[in-house]
Amino acid sequence: MLATRCLSRPPRLGLQVGRTVGAGGSVERMPIIEIERLCKSYQVYQKKEGLWASVRGLFRREYRQVEAVRGIDLTVEQGEFVAFLGPNGAGKTTTLKLLSGVIHPTSGTARVMGHVPWKRENAYRRRFALVMGQKNQLWWDLPAQESFRLHQQIYRIPTSSFHQTLDELCQLLDVKNLLNQPVRELSLGERMKMELIAALLHAPEVLFLDEPTIGLDVVAQHNIQHFLRTYQQTKQITILLTSHYMKDVLALCKRLVIIAQGQICYDGSLTGIIDRFSTDKVVTLLFGGDRLPSQWEPLGRVLEVVGPKVKLRVERQRVAQVLASLLADYSIEDVSVEDPPLEEVIADAFNQVSRTSVPGAPLDRIVPGTRV
Amino acid sequence: MHARVQQWWVVYRIALEERLVYRGDFALGTLMRFLPIVTQIFLWWAVFDAMRHESADASETIAGYSYANFIAYYLLTMLGRAFSSMPGLASGIAQQIRNGEIKKFLIQPVDLIGFLLLNRMAHKTAYYSVALGPFALVYFLCQSYFPPMPDAGTWGAFGLSLILAFVLGFFLEASIGLIAFWFLEVSSLLFVYMLLSFFLSGHMFPLDMLPYPWSTIVDFLPLKYLAYFPSAVFLGKVTGRELVISLWVEVIWVVALMVLCRVMWNRGLARYSGYGG
Amino acid sequence: MPGESVHPSYIRVLLTFMRNSLVRDMSFRSNFVIESVASTSWVFMNLGFYLLIFRYTNEIGAGSGWGKYEFFVFLSTTMFINSIIEALFMPNAQEFSELIRTGNLDFALLKPIDTQFLVSCRRCDWSSLANWLVGGSLLVYSLRQLTARAENPLQIHPLAFVLYPFFIVCGVAILYSLMISLSASSVWLGRNQTLYNFWFYITNFSRYPMEIYGGTYGTPLRAVFTFVIPVLIVVNVPARWMAWPFDVARSGPLSLFAVAATLASLMFSRWVFLRALESYRSASS
Ligand SMILES: Nc1ncnc2c1ncn2[C@@H]1O[C@H](COP(=O)(O)OP(=O)(O)OP(=O)(O)O)[C@@H](O)[C@H]1O
Ligand SMILES: [Mg+2]
Repeated sequence: MLATRCLSRPPRLGLQVGRTVGAGGSVERMPIIEIERLCKSYQVYQKKEGLWASVRGLFRREYRQVEAVRGIDLTVEQGEFVAFLGPNGAGKTTTLKLLSGVIHPTSGTARVMGHVPWKRENAYRRRFALVMGQKNQLWWDLPAQESFRLHQQIYRIPTSSFHQTLDELCQLLDVKNLLNQPVRELSLGERMKMELIAALLHAPEVLFLDEPTIGLDVVAQHNIQHFLRTYQQTKQITILLTSHYMKDVLALCKRLVIIAQGQICYDGSLTGIIDRFSTDKVVTLLFGGDRLPSQWEPLGRVLEVVGPKVKLRVERQRVAQVLASLLADYSIEDVSVEDPPLEEVIADAFNQVSRTSVPGAPLDRIVPGTRV
Repeated sequence: MHARVQQWWVVYRIALEERLVYRGDFALGTLMRFLPIVTQIFLWWAVFDAMRHESADASETIAGYSYANFIAYYLLTMLGRAFSSMPGLASGIAQQIRNGEIKKFLIQPVDLIGFLLLNRMAHKTAYYSVALGPFALVYFLCQSYFPPMPDAGTWGAFGLSLILAFVLGFFLEASIGLIAFWFLEVSSLLFVYMLLSFFLSGHMFPLDMLPYPWSTIVDFLPLKYLAYFPSAVFLGKVTGRELVISLWVEVIWVVALMVLCRVMWNRGLARYSGYGG
Repeated sequence: MPGESVHPSYIRVLLTFMRNSLVRDMSFRSNFVIESVASTSWVFMNLGFYLLIFRYTNEIGAGSGWGKYEFFVFLSTTMFINSIIEALFMPNAQEFSELIRTGNLDFALLKPIDTQFLVSCRRCDWSSLANWLVGGSLLVYSLRQLTARAENPLQIHPLAFVLYPFFIVCGVAILYSLMISLSASSVWLGRNQTLYNFWFYITNFSRYPMEIYGGTYGTPLRAVFTFVIPVLIVVNVPARWMAWPFDVARSGPLSLFAVAATLASLMFSRWVFLRALESYRSASS
């Protein structure tokens, strides 16, 4: 039931969340990113095995249509920090590429700060930045410093503010002493920090981050999270972040957008997602006496038992009832009721979404016989 | 012995199949490779044209080559190069040595040089089976430039020189690649080799054109067997005793390089495993 | 006033690119030296080949006007143009198709600067510029031979010193357009090795005086490589102004055509480039 609702129409909770936050201040903020029915499909050439097939392929090619993004609607207000979540191949990177104007959409519209991204106007390109965790844009054989200088020229940053920004960023990220080391000799985490600096030198108003913490250790992840939070709070810029690490999301974002199979299936607050996708609560009990219930099944699923301490997973509607019956029958010293960890909730959400495929609209269609 | 032959046959067949997949590319690429000759033909036409005007002697030759000989020569060197050139062989070996992939030949009961030779043979077989078409087409179109059919002996010597060119080319490049055991960076060395072989193998012009000190130097190098020698044999520029001696010298070169390769391979491996790297 | 600050200073960016390339080359110094030596020795070998030819003839093509030293002027012009192409554009064109293949073109597309400029000028291969020395020396030597010879010595018209560099620039622009169009087409074609060979085979035609393409087969060939893919005028036009006696009637029409061809090629390559960017799909990462 949940899943069908989710797929039939993406709820536009985002707007409401934005507004409620906005209502805290006195002014209504203007939307900085507006996406409507954005679609992107790739034609993938089906290479066939065998000689005869490849000869035929010269004349008749079969393309498979991969619909990476299938009608996304999204509005983001100035100063928001939005997390994009979704399983592999959901279309997160594609969406960010569309918003940065790297690729053209198949249909739909998008406006970022009033610009259509894929027009690639200089005026737009000076105002945003894209950081991709898996790619690097710095000159491999040169110290990062040189790449920064190049950025200064390309973005025409006045020398004084360039140095000031650079100092500030280096201090925040603690990489001052690495500026003169060739990029190829930097560790992954250090290089990521340099990539961030390169992206922020021109003080972008909108920042797209595609898995900025991929492959980093816990400390480096934490560093980058801390940096992003501080930076976003002081500059009040708008950030869209994709990540597979829930820690990033927890630490940084108030708003969460879940995208699966090219469509948005949740857009709202962190707590909202738990209400929405999690049917269970985690109940921790500390029993006083030696007597423990012999049968757990009627109550819930046992997660762990350590001495007198028991962790149970209980359906949300039944929590009160279960607690009442336990308290009546056993001596219990302590009780806590918590939401399950976010990872699990999100994994549940992904599962629910991918189990339901949309009838009548298969994701991959074979389009035969396009002559080339 | 039987098992050995079978193993070789399998290696050869797999490599052949892999190669044949890219047929269409091959055929087109081969035809394209004749394009530089087109400019050469025009260049020599212009040169002979000027010479005719200067001396009004219709039977002008350069170093014994008539205009028709020149064209035939260039077309034949293409064939020689098709046998003797080994694209990517030396650099491939060097790369394997550099990134340590060579280690697997220490463990597996396969001999790298034999393996690569079979690979090349398959590669070349595939190449000829596809390149036959373009070559035949070009030679048919240009048949008037070729001398009258040479006799069976010349054909035999020509065939032999082509096969020897293949083996010579293989061991020459393989030994350059194996230098990587001692100097990791062989790409510049390779470039020098390419440069030298381009000019001194006779790919660019018939070596008979070279004046004194150079002509002797070239005679003492193995490079001339890669392109010049087969063509010269076919055109009847090398005959009789000279032909026999040259073929023997070529055989000696092949054997010497083969031994060199083997020695380098064994020494290199010993050095390599000595490092424990 | 925001309109003004929107445009980066292209000259400054170019200088930074060249500086960065130099810094990079210098950090692999021995490689740099080897490459310079290799590319000059290639040039010397070519020179040797032509010296060999001129042992047997005095002219390339009867009455074509390309005697030994005229032809050496031609050769040095080839060297200038080639070394500019190899230094400035070759590494970039190669990298461009690589950027397309790997999806790293993304970053170039993000920058508030003309993408074609960014892609064409990123790298500079300084070692190829070593050939300028060879070309320059050869040019000076040949011109001295031409001007000092006994029968009708060459008199260099002052305008030749303007026209020569101008048409060299035109030639470079034509080759650049061809090259960037070829590498841009790897957006549609994927692999670029064949394209790369194609480039070498085509430009091979530009290395010789156009007079050698005559006769039944030569004339159409000459027409194709002059009017369809104008590689023949790349070297021929500047070399004529320098090596031949100044004669507007003889070289003028072709030179005018060269200017038109340069503009047309640049426009064509721009068009191809923009089309390619539209079809760019950014490799999935
Ligand atoms: N250049 C491309 N050509 C063809 N198909 C592509 C291309 N880029 C992406 N796709 C397809 O589009 C879909 C969405 O890809 P995308 O990279 O947006 O996923 P993602 O959400 O970023 O996944 P991940 O979490 O793995 O990074 C995938 O099915 C992918 O195969
Ligand atoms: Mg992604």
